[in-house]
Amino acid sequence: MNSSNSDLHRRQRFDRLVSVWHRDMYRYAAWLSRDPAIAEDVVQEAMLRAWKSLDALREDDAAKQWVLTIVRRENARYFERKRLETVDIDNLTPSQSAMLAESSDTDLDDVREAIYRLDDDYREPLVLQVLMGHSTKEIAEMMDIKPGAVLTRLHRARIKLKQEISEEAAT
Amino acid sequence: MNAAGTSMNCEQYREAIAADPSESFDGGAMHSAECSPCSKFKAEMRALDERISAAMKIEVPDLSMPEFPSVASEEKVVDLSSRRPIRWTTPAWVGLAASVVLATVIGVRFTDTHVSHDIDGSLAKQVVAHLDFEPNSLRVTDVAVSDESLYSVVRPAIASMDRNLGLISYAMSCTINGREVPHLVMQGEKGPVTILLMPHEMIDMPIQLDGESIEGIILPVGEGSIAIIGERGEQIDQLKTRVRKNVKWSI
Repeated sequence: MNSSNSDLHRRQRFDRLVSVWHRDMYRYAAWLSRDPAIAEDVVQEAMLRAWKSLDALREDDAAKQWVLTIVRRENARYFERKRLETVDIDNLTPSQSAMLAESSDTDLDDVREAIYRLDDDYREPLVLQVLMGHSTKEIAEMMDIKPGAVLTRLHRARIKLKQEISEEAAT
Repeated sequence: MNAAGTSMNCEQYREAIAADPSESFDGGAMHSAECSPCSKFKAEMRALDERISAAMKIEVPDLSMPEFPSVASEEKVVDLSSRRPIRWTTPAWVGLAASVVLATVIGVRFTDTHVSHDIDGSLAKQVVAHLDFEPNSLRVTDVAVSDESLYSVVRPAIASMDRNLGLISYAMSCTINGREVPHLVMQGEKGPVTILLMPHEMIDMPIQLDGESIEGIILPVGEGSIAIIGERGEQIDQLKTRVRKNVKWSI
């Protein structure tokens, strides 16, 4: 197979297994970084890394978990490089503010803000379960923690969200 | 036995349903069918999940694809030919096979070394370059470092390690990319094997190190990586399994 045919074949496989998940990659990155601008950078880097590593993806069925793991690592690399300050919810950048108030539904925005305020340890497994549809076992593998720890974090995340949303509704 | 007549009590059920509103856990459906307050709690959790799901679905902008390099230019080769050769040193009192001792004066070079999946190859370069800094670590010996020495390097704050890994003959706290890295040497079947525990160096895929006379791998392990480098012909696959089994990050 010559180089251009090889590239074409690779691109087709990439589109079928990786590009198809770009929306999930972006949303996952956005909730990890809590910044749409950073999420775009992270997804770009993750796409490039996935392209370079595509031959290592042995099982097509595992593609989604594989690309999300790449996003997760790329996000960690981004913050390692930039050493950003912790996000202060009262002092957000325009990009961060837009993420929280992008709908006309104030109830939805309140929930979004409560999710935004969750600790990373709680927010991430919740995104992987609710938005990405991953099982406890898959989340444990992606986060490299025990399934029991995943369940504890998910339980605490929902209880905290429930309390915050109730308090918000009461005010 | 609780009021619902199941082995799961209400507290356990509520913890479980808050972690998994799909109620896929054992005993959940039976409990909620017979416990009205918990059934109501389940409905609340499911309603909450619908709101969470809707809130998480933020708009996705038109994302532009990066420029992908062609397959031909993708493979990365790290040129390590200019590095100083590693020399094994063996104390005279070690009564090991002459052929092994002779190996101590054979220069080990990483010429024509191919590295994959480390996008700029910098981690692989640093790992290999680090071997040059401590050539005395590569001794053929049957003397293990003490527990005290070993665990002062593999500190609980970094990782836990079982001594079943093998005969560890060297342990030193080193630095790679500005981070503390336990540098260990264990005695393999072909000679000393270097192991670098790098809890902060994330890689996506294993990086193969393939030199003229030595070979190795940098393994992704959780959010870090572990380098294993031995003489060509060393049982790297077996060592990989042992390392994965016996080393756990604390970080």
